[in-house]
Amino acid sequence: MNPVLTFIVVLIGLYGLATSKNIIKSVFCVTIIESGVILLFLNFANYEGGAIPIVSEDVAAIVDPLPHALMITTIVIGSAVTALALIICIKVFHHYGSTEWAQILRREDVK
Amino acid sequence: MSRKIILVAALGILFVMFFLSMEEMEDLFKNDAKLYFFEHGLDDTGSSNLITAILLDYRLFDSLFEAGILLVAVFGVIWISRHDFEERNAHFMLDKYKTPELFVTLSRFVFPLLLMLGFFIILNGHLTPGGGFQGGAVVATAILLLYYINLERKTDISLIVAVVKFAYLGIVLTASISLITRGEIFTNFMAVDAPTMSKYIYIIALDILIGINVALCLWAIFTAFLKEGR
Amino acid sequence: MNDLMWIDIIAYVLQFMLIAIAVVVVLQKNNSTIVLLVVAFSLVVSGLYVINHAPDVAIAEVAIGAAIIPLIYVISISRQREFIVLDRAMDDFIISNNDFTGIGYVLLKRFTDYYHLELNICNDPGLCSWEAGPDKVICEKTNVDLIVSRDEEKGVYQLKGKESSLLMTKLAQMAEDYDDIEVHTFTERGFGE
Repeated sequence: MNPVLTFIVVLIGLYGLATSKNIIKSVFCVTIIESGVILLFLNFANYEGGAIPIVSEDVAAIVDPLPHALMITTIVIGSAVTALALIICIKVFHHYGSTEWAQILRREDVK
Repeated sequence: MSRKIILVAALGILFVMFFLSMEEMEDLFKNDAKLYFFEHGLDDTGSSNLITAILLDYRLFDSLFEAGILLVAVFGVIWISRHDFEERNAHFMLDKYKTPELFVTLSRFVFPLLLMLGFFIILNGHLTPGGGFQGGAVVATAILLLYYINLERKTDISLIVAVVKFAYLGIVLTASISLITRGEIFTNFMAVDAPTMSKYIYIIALDILIGINVALCLWAIFTAFLKEGR
Repeated sequence: MNDLMWIDIIAYVLQFMLIAIAVVVVLQKNNSTIVLLVVAFSLVVSGLYVINHAPDVAIAEVAIGAAIIPLIYVISISRQREFIVLDRAMDDFIISNNDFTGIGYVLLKRFTDYYHLELNICNDPGLCSWEAGPDKVICEKTNVDLIVSRDEEKGVYQLKGKESSLLMTKLAQMAEDYDDIEVHTFTERGFGE
C-alpha cells in the first residue's frame, strides 16, 4: 500500500481536468480525482495489523472507522454531482450544438 | 505548449509537497477516537458494524444532509430535463433489436437475487458490512434491470418523488424521537442503559428508511436520464 | 506472513493498473471507450478498498460506480451524437416513395456526416400537428435541433433552428446551393436565464 502511487492518480486526474477539450471528459476526470482522494484517505487510515471495523470477540485492533463513514458520504454525493453535471451537458449540447470547451467559449454571447 | 509545461511544473510542486508532508499525515487517524469507537461503540449504539454506528448515531447530522443532497440532486435533474409537452411516444433509448436476448434472460435470472442481496445488506447493516446507502444502491441497480426485461415499462417520476419526500420526512422524524425519550436530538431513541438487543430496532428502522430514500432517488435520476432526448 | 506478502503484491499490481487506466482515460479521445475504462477503474479501485479493510466503501463503489454512473454516461454520450429533426412539412421533402430519398434528406445527411452525427428524423404526429404550438415554442421546450416546414405562399421549405447553435451557421452555408430551401434561426432566451 503506497500513498504516493495513489497521489499520482489524483495528479493524472488534475492534468486531465486542465487539458481536456470535451465537457464530458472533464466530468470523467472529476470522477477519477474523487476515487483517488477516497483511496488516499483509506490508505492513511489503514495500518498493518488492523482489521475490518466490526466489533467481535476475536478482533484485537481495528482500523479507524471514521474516514470510512465519511467516504461513503463522498461516493453518494459524487454520484449526485455527476448526474447533475451530465444532464447540464445534454442541455448545453442541444443549445450550442457542440460540447467542446473551445468552440463554446469562442462565441461572443457566452462571454 | 508553454501552458502545459507550467501545468506539469505546478503538479510536480504539488507532488513534492505531498511527499514531504506524508509522514505527518500517517499519524492522522491513529488517535484515541479509534480506541473509543472500539471500546464503546457496541454499547453506545447497539451496532457491531462501527461504520453504521458512526453514520446513524455519532454523526447522524452528516447522513441526514447526505440524503438531503441526493434529494436536491433529484429535484435539479428533473427540473432541468423537464418537458412541458405530453410525452406520448416517449419510448426509451433501449431498443428491442439492440438488446441481446441472452442479456434479457440473464436479467430475469439475476433480478430477484440482486433484490434479495440489497435487502440483506439493508437489514443486516448493524452486523455485516453495508447499510442503508449501499443496500439502497444495490436495490436501485436491481430496479434498473427491470427496464431491460420489460422495454415498454412506464414510470411516473412524480410518484417516486412524492414517496421520497415522505421517506426523508420519516428519517428526520425517526431521528428526532430521541428528543422526547432521551432529551437530546439526533441519536438513538432507546434509553442509554437499555440492553444492546433493543437498540437494534432504531438502527434497522433508520437503515430501512435511508435505503428506501437512496434507492428511489437513484431510480428517479436514471429514469429522468432514460426519458431525456425525445 | 506469506499471506501478507501476497496481498502486498496484489495491491501493487492493482495500483499500477489504476495509474495505467487513468493515463489511458486522459489520453483517449473517444468518449465511448472511456465509459468502459471508467467501469474498469471503478472495479479496480473497489478491489483496493477491500485490501484497505474498507468493505463498506467497496460495496457502495461497486453498486454506484460500476452500474448506475456508466449508464448515465452512456445515455448522455449517445444523446450528443444525435441531430434531431422534426418533420412538419408532411410531404415528399424528406420521405418520398416511403423511403429516405427526398432532396432535404440528402442535404441533411450530408450535413450530419460532416459533423459525424446521427440523423434522427421524428415525425411523431403529436408534435408535428399544428395544435402542438408554433415552432419557436416547440424548439424551446423540447430537445429538437431543427424543424422542417413548408411556406405555402413563397413555395419554399424552411429549416428553422436555434440561433445559438454552432451547427446552424454551417447548415446555412450548405443550403445556399438550393433555391427552394431557406434557413431561418430564431433567438432563444440565453442559457441559464
